[in-house]
Amino acid sequence: MGKVRRISGCVAAANAVKLADVDVICSYPIRPYTGIMSELARMVADGELDAEFIHGEGEHAQLSVVYGASAAGARTFTGSSGVGVTYAFEVYSPISGERLPVQMAIGDRTLDPPGDFGSEHTDAECCRDQGWIQGWASTQQEVLDMHLIYYRVGEDPRVMLPQFVCQDGYYITHILGEVDIPDPSQVKEFLPPYKNHHVLDPKNPMIIGAQIEPAMGPPLQYQRYQAMQAVGQVLREAHEEFARIFGRRYDPFLEEYLTEDAEVVIFGQGAHMVTAKAVAARLRNLGEKVGVVRLRTFRPFPTEEIRRRMSRFKAIGVLDNSVNFGISCNGGVLLSELRAALYDFGDKVKTVGFVAGLGGEVVTHDEFYRMFRKIQEIAKTGKVEQTAYWLPFEL
Amino acid sequence: MSTGSNLFAEPGLQQITVWARGVVMNKDARDIVVALAEAAAREGKYVQAWENYVDLPDRVYVPVRAYARISTDPIESKYIYENETPDIIILVEETLVKGVPVLRGLRKGGVLVVNTRRSPEEILSFLGDTGNLETLVTVDASSLSTAVTTLSGAEGATDATGIGAGIAAPLAGAVVKATGIVSLENLAAVVKNPEAMRRGYELARVTRLETKGAAQEVAVSAGELLKQLPFAGTVPSPVSENEGMVTGNWRMQRPVLDQEACTSCDTCWIYCPDSCITRTDEGPTFNLKYCKGCGICEEVCPSGAISLVPELNFKD
Ligand code: SF4
Ligand code: SF4
Repeated sequence: MGKVRRISGCVAAANAVKLADVDVICSYPIRPYTGIMSELARMVADGELDAEFIHGEGEHAQLSVVYGASAAGARTFTGSSGVGVTYAFEVYSPISGERLPVQMAIGDRTLDPPGDFGSEHTDAECCRDQGWIQGWASTQQEVLDMHLIYYRVGEDPRVMLPQFVCQDGYYITHILGEVDIPDPSQVKEFLPPYKNHHVLDPKNPMIIGAQIEPAMGPPLQYQRYQAMQAVGQVLREAHEEFARIFGRRYDPFLEEYLTEDAEVVIFGQGAHMVTAKAVAARLRNLGEKVGVVRLRTFRPFPTEEIRRRMSRFKAIGVLDNSVNFGISCNGGVLLSELRAALYDFGDKVKTVGFVAGLGGEVVTHDEFYRMFRKIQEIAKTGKVEQTAYWLPFEL
Repeated sequence: MSTGSNLFAEPGLQQITVWARGVVMNKDARDIVVALAEAAAREGKYVQAWENYVDLPDRVYVPVRAYARISTDPIESKYIYENETPDIIILVEETLVKGVPVLRGLRKGGVLVVNTRRSPEEILSFLGDTGNLETLVTVDASSLSTAVTTLSGAEGATDATGIGAGIAAPLAGAVVKATGIVSLENLAAVVKNPEAMRRGYELARVTRLETKGAAQEVAVSAGELLKQLPFAGTVPSPVSENEGMVTGNWRMQRPVLDQEACTSCDTCWIYCPDSCITRTDEGPTFNLKYCKGCGICEEVCPSGAISLVPELNFKD
């Protein structure tokens, strides 16, 4: 047991970075993730953390700095929000392609326009196919834990991939929650030192990211694909170890809540699922068989887990807190991927999408209530009249 | 299909909202909610403390809010953005009673604590319809300790300067006197200046009022906003006055002109950052709908013709 403090998600992330004893941090300010960097800057200034703290001149530079530092053998950390995340886009693929386990925190923020700093998952989800491990926390504690677990998984020799640790802006980044900050000795046991496969070293010169012939494309991409395929098993092992050392057990892929005899569930990720759980509990008091399944690992998408564990429900409602204009079924990427994962079950499991909480608006208890009622109606009638609903306009 | 609100009621939950002024008082607002929440946690309560994210904390003097939730049961509304129905409201600065809807949503039997040396009657005269307000507490917290201005702890980071060294301590003490929401001893254990906290407790003046019941306010629905939204969310550029950003309620001090001393040099007109000074034959006039009381005009006037007067000295 460490020390329990009430801290924001930003401070929780910074504490994880400190515990992971990172070597190089590169910052550039943008709300709401900024608090992570101010906290880390304080830790470095106060001598609590011995790391190089570099100010990038923008997000593209941030990612380029940690790219180089990681290649030189450093454990690295960076982060951003909203348009900052998308500004750095070009560098994501090179980092995962070079198999550098950089870690980046994303405090979600709506993409422009307008200049809104409220949370939406769109920023981080845009980067979903770039070869980075990615998942959403739903509490401040989970933020800290996820950062530690992801370092371990990303740096595993079977994986060697970068990671996005995402937290909803404001809801998690800025609200204080109870966090058990583990003891450094526990973290030492859990997280072995970072060892790169190929270290940039003047004594043994090497080129990374070299120009290649098209013929090298397929094998190179297949390597990266295999690395992503290996993540699931490594995540499982890491969560086992985590539970053993820290005493906190998470399902690596799906958190199930009140699902045992549930007929219908809401599926989604991030902070709003905490509200969904509260609503499900109240509906249970009324005798309704409802539950919640919270996605913890978004990349790699846990297809097999979903097929095995979620095909038993009569109907699933999927909450997307993002915009995906023109996507199949008019919902969001979570709806689209869940439907794809459950395709073989055909009509046995009905699905319906909900787009809510855009611009950082609260997804209210009442909205979740309406979603549950809609899913129940679909389970009962067997009819899906509309593949997805935009709240509050359509439901 | 809606729930009716009772299904999600949290009867053991109390909401505390603190109002303050951007930059110069963020810290004391945050300290009050953190101190009360930490004290309540010592009593085994479920707690939550945070600052409003949508308010503009980096604008000097802008009204900003910090919140606490204290509950006998696990808090189910953790990620509901704001305290929509506060039980206790605290004003770190007295001028907030003027032109800021501080009592909005106040629950029946609500408590308002104001940092002021003015009388309860005078404070009430600015509040107008007090609705659900049952207890008014006035305390001159600023005379009991000194406000702490720091950016440490901004944006959810750790405040390295500690909790409750400034005027937060006596204000939190005043809250305890009127509400007993936490014990004085537990509060003393978490604030840096327990002496000032005790003085705040002792000197707080508690006035009981007759509650009148609050008028139900109807929020603009998202559907209505959709109808009102211009194509692609464009905003007409303000030519002289921007109705979307009325800054008059940021003002704690009002500029007043001494016509005799004014030479009509127009220096103040040039410097006013909000362009709210108009040149007239009688010298400059101040547009009080927008004047945020920054005091720059007073500072730059070469003739000492402008003085700043506490806003609450004016009834208008
Ligand atoms: S105090 Fe003076 S300078 Fe500042 S906004 Fe008001 S009129 Fe302008
Ligand atoms: S700066 Fe002073 S003297 Fe000049 S116009 Fe303004 S009030 Fe008058």
